[in-house]
Amino acid sequence: MILFEEIRSLLPQKYPFLFIDKVVELEEGKKIVCVKNVSGNEPVFVGHFPDFAIMPGVLIIEAMAQASIILFKKSLPPQDNTDKVFLLASIGNARFTKPVFPGDQLYIEINVEKIVSKGAIVQATVKVGEAAVAKANLTFGIAEKSALI
Amino acid sequence: MNAEEVEKGVTAIVAEVTELDQSEIWNKRDANFFKDLEIDSLLALEILALIEKKFKVQIPEEKLVDITSLSATINLTKSVLAENGKLSS
Repeated sequence: MILFEEIRSLLPQKYPFLFIDKVVELEEGKKIVCVKNVSGNEPVFVGHFPDFAIMPGVLIIEAMAQASIILFKKSLPPQDNTDKVFLLASIGNARFTKPVFPGDQLYIEINVEKIVSKGAIVQATVKVGEAAVAKANLTFGIAEKSALI
Repeated sequence: MNAEEVEKGVTAIVAEVTELDQSEIWNKRDANFFKDLEIDSLLALEILALIEKKFKVQIPEEKLVDITSLSATINLTKSVLAENGKLSS
């Protein structure tokens, strides 16, 4: 189990853009299962939508990406990340099969297809209870910030 | 698995990733992925992962730098399969 304070220190994203609350399962280099509690109090629901709060699918993808970053950082030896940034390179076969509402608890499961020191390819599945709400394949890499500008 | 099956299989994978026709990528098999075909290092990683899946082999990370053209990728796949005793002549 990894709790929120460690997650906050691991992820480069910060409030109000943290979409993982805790890690419930971790197999280094292979698999991670994270929990995200969706609250009606989150800033995104001010606009999405003013009369019908529903979690944006792109933020479910973001939660998958953040779970993947935690798995990646826990799987490889510590690196100096000061000039590094995680970049999403591809999203494949994304499916959103059920809407996500405030009060739902997302179980985000990531399975590694390939991991190297400069990036990874993963398969992500998100469930609420027993029901799958989203899945996608993600590829992401690490780049040097100075090389991107 | 023989050499021709490897050539066809790897060409199909690179065609899928680059979104080019198989005949087109085959004609450009010596073209440099990065300079000529706009493939970046993460697409090369996708190619590597698809080769591992299709041919049921493990390719170590240090071989990623050998994925520079279709020809080079075919040769890499052949040598990895040969090392594992999976390439028939």
